Amino acid sequence: MESLAAIAARSLAISAAATLLAATWSLPLAYAAATRPRLRLAAALAEGLVGVPTVLVGLLLYFLLSRRGPLGFLGLLYTPAAVILGEAVLVTPLLVAVSYQVLAAAVSRYAELALALGAGGGEALALALREAAPELLAAVVMAFSRAVGELGVALLVGGNIEGYTRTMTTAIALYVSMGEFEEAAELGLALVGVMVLVALAVRAARRLAEDG
Amino acid sequence: MSRPAAYVAAALLLAAGLVLATQLAGTRGTIRVQATTTTSLYATGLLDELARAFQAKHPGVRIEFIPVGSGEALRRAADGEACMVFVHAPSLEKRYLEAGVLGGHRFIAYNFFAVVGPRSDPAGVREAGSAVDAFRRIYAAGEKGEARFVSRGDRSGTNVREMALWRLAGLDPRGKKWYIVSGQGMAKTLVMADELGAYTLSDTGTFLKLSLDGRIPGLALLYTNSSDLMNVYSVYLVKGCRGEEAKYARMFADFVAGPEGQRIIAGYGADRYGRPLFYPAAGHEEMLREAWSRLAEG
Repeated sequence: MESLAAIAARSLAISAAATLLAATWSLPLAYAAATRPRLRLAAALAEGLVGVPTVLVGLLLYFLLSRRGPLGFLGLLYTPAAVILGEAVLVTPLLVAVSYQVLAAAVSRYAELALALGAGGGEALALALREAAPELLAAVVMAFSRAVGELGVALLVGGNIEGYTRTMTTAIALYVSMGEFEEAAELGLALVGVMVLVALAVRAARRLAEDG
Repeated sequence: MSRPAAYVAAALLLAAGLVLATQLAGTRGTIRVQATTTTSLYATGLLDELARAFQAKHPGVRIEFIPVGSGEALRRAADGEACMVFVHAPSLEKRYLEAGVLGGHRFIAYNFFAVVGPRSDPAGVREAGSAVDAFRRIYAAGEKGEARFVSRGDRSGTNVREMALWRLAGLDPRGKKWYIVSGQGMAKTLVMADELGAYTLSDTGTFLKLSLDGRIPGLALLYTNSSDLMNVYSVYLVKGCRGEEAKYARMFADFVAGPEGQRIIAGYGADRYGRPLFYPAAGHEEMLREAWSRLAEG
């Protein structure tokens, strides 16, 4: 099998891309829900779907991307792009749910006060985002953790292709299916180590940004 | 907590307790014999049919199958999680036999692997004279950019045979752009081959089942039934197993390898697939032993 380092790098890159992609639509959606009472239902739905089975998301995406499916012409099945797309969909509920809570609090605490003091709508938004940034970052780290630790999406739409779409989780699943439990556990611990390192690194970066 | 909340909590606890009690009551008194097996064999439904017939004669005994990859099936059995294992990976089986954790080896059935691929068959596998020849043709077509091959890359029985065939052909496809190593089960691998219009090696059971279900319309069975594609299914008993479970595991193994089990195996799948999925081992022990020894070296 290819080296652990290569697989780990690929997992990190894919899940980071997925998380950032999900953030581009999740944060605006969360903000909209925080400021428009009628959209609060979306946040409630998101909360419920945080734990959606990864294999289900993988299956739905497979139906879309398969040759016979509506998006089959894109030829995305069994490519890293498909895994990025799938994981982005997977972590969207988590990002929306947590960001909503954070932004709703920030809006009520800061934005409304700012508006009352005469600030414009855009200024109020910028203020709320700035104050909520550390917590939003935490939401992003959580979403990344879910993305990098998921199996169902990567397996179903990625295909666990060596040198191309094999991630740490699909490699672990493969080791288990071969009866090599010890190797699987080692790889699993390495994955957990990576998750923790990422969280700590983000925290350290935040500290530096605050102090700088 | 408030009174209504307390009532709700009590009701939930009671409900959970009732569910738990019924689950436990259902299994009390039943002798559960656990057997690990490979997903491809289990997916054909043959094992469930054999278990049903056996359980009809022995009520109070339940055979529980744990379908996983070949390597995992053997490993779990060796770890003592099951009393018996149904597999078709002679080279892996040999290792566990030599380690002394398995015994009671009986052949139960055999069939053939099949080289499957796109209906257009750019490599000309249909005209191959042997499985090794088929692989040579695929390799040549791959080098010309006209074909791709999906390998399971998981040391399953099918994968082990695939690697042996490449070796016999004197070729090494690893690292080639047209050679895709997907670490997946047989069904997913077939689906991938169908999606990518690639060739692959498959067991006939999984291929026929998926084909019938319309999941792999682009794939055709191109070459099979030669001796170098023989797929030998065996049952083993786990040495550390004791008590009632061990007794009934032995009885079930005897049932499967005996006249009744062999009759079920010989006819299995004929009505659904138009052809039986397996050939019974009965009467062919000599041939199977020789094939098994040859395959165990690979």
